[in-house]
Amino acid sequence: MTLPVAARSIVSRGLATSAVALAGLAAVYVLALGFTPVEARQGLAQKIFYLHVPAAWSALLAFSLVGIASALYLWLLDPRLDRFAAASAEVGVAFSAVMLTTGPIWAKPIWGTWWTWDARLTLTLFLFFLFVGYLALRAAVQDPAERARFSAVVGILGMLLVPFVHLSVYLFRTLHPTPVVLKPSAPSLPPEMLRTLLISTLVFTVLYIGLVTVRYGIALAEEAREAPDAA
Amino acid sequence: MPPDNGGYMIAAYVVTAVILVGYALAMWRRARRAVGSD
Amino acid sequence: MGSCPGTTGSSVREAIRLALAIAAKDIRVELRSRTALLSAVVFAALVLVVFNFARDPTAIAAVDLAPSVLWVTFALAAMVALNRAFTIERENAALDGLLLAPVPREALFLGKLLANLAFVGTVEAVTLPLFVLFFNVDLGGALPGILGVTALATTGFVAVGTIFSAMAVRTRFAELLLPVLLLPFMVPPLIGAVQATSRLLSGRPLSEVMGWLRLLAIYDVVFVTLCMLVFSAVVDE
Repeated sequence: MTLPVAARSIVSRGLATSAVALAGLAAVYVLALGFTPVEARQGLAQKIFYLHVPAAWSALLAFSLVGIASALYLWLLDPRLDRFAAASAEVGVAFSAVMLTTGPIWAKPIWGTWWTWDARLTLTLFLFFLFVGYLALRAAVQDPAERARFSAVVGILGMLLVPFVHLSVYLFRTLHPTPVVLKPSAPSLPPEMLRTLLISTLVFTVLYIGLVTVRYGIALAEEAREAPDAA
Repeated sequence: MPPDNGGYMIAAYVVTAVILVGYALAMWRRARRAVGSD
Repeated sequence: MGSCPGTTGSSVREAIRLALAIAAKDIRVELRSRTALLSAVVFAALVLVVFNFARDPTAIAAVDLAPSVLWVTFALAAMVALNRAFTIERENAALDGLLLAPVPREALFLGKLLANLAFVGTVEAVTLPLFVLFFNVDLGGALPGILGVTALATTGFVAVGTIFSAMAVRTRFAELLLPVLLLPFMVPPLIGAVQATSRLLSGRPLSEVMGWLRLLAIYDVVFVTLCMLVFSAVVDE
């Protein structure tokens, strides 16, 4: 199969998967808003949970896969791994953006403040910056082989940074707890809420897969355009 | 009586849809340019 | 990849010897021109001045901000220094010659690391007395502890910084790219350094900051090792 034809089929598959996932997202919206009980103490704002947590899961998934693909690339030097890592990073930025917007919007009514430097939100911010740095580096390096190697280095280093950020922020926080207005207790989730959460997580995962596939296909197609004889 | 914070919920749901659908649409347009037109 | 054959013992000694030689050469080159060193020192001094005026002295006592001021200054100075160090090297195409020789890349990285540490360390050595002067800091018996914390945290900054500046300097937007890449990696050492420095300056004994020192040390071990291993991916075609 020539490169452009392969790219086209990958892109179609990705677009189809994404379309299904977006339809699923619409269904999740209906489910969460219409068919899931309202939490008595937190009110309607608690429903942001059904978007924020799956987005966090997808962002973390995207990030881990960038790290793993980067490590594998330096070992195997397969350009497909580099293409995948780049796609995963870009999609990861999108999910991180969802996290970083829904997080404060959720925090304000529930915790009384738009932002707190707790371990989770801070890690979210770091993931975002690491993704952005990764993509900025890719944009700045012209030679494809060099770009792949450099990105892989950043991917690996970034993956290893995360435990240190988590640990140091945790240690920092236990020394400087900021007062919180209304801290939601962590009760066991009633079954309907758990169901909605799990379905949403599934939808977000499928969306991740679809978007990464499209992005990967686009990268392949754009490469085929630039080097038509490389097919 | 649960607090009246539905506005936040709406804001979050709208923003999420804008980001995800927006990104998907941007990818669709880019895909058509990269693959289509022949 | 260019590793020298032989027993593990002698090749490690050989690698260290090479690293020291590379570091010595780089340091000699820098000492000859000195412009990068001087501009980094002046930069650090100016940052301290800015910090002094960037606060309301009636609202915040200098001693409360002191550890943060010191470490933000050190972090920024390290970045300026690293940028300059690799730019000079590219101008002299010094690295290319070394790469042609069968030098193990790990030794090359260690050499660069040591040279950069010497550079950044010198800037810090000049900045610290200025800091004590400008902010009326009472060092007391804290100096050895602070030197130890500085050595550990700076090693963390410079290890990752050496890798990233080697990459950034090959791009058009090096001055912007290096901070964007490096600052997230400077945060864990920064947290440890500020916490430890703050306690030491308050007169707490060294034993109380051991936890933070351990964090810094583990960070250093992990990242120096990792950067040593990936250096080849950065400099080899």
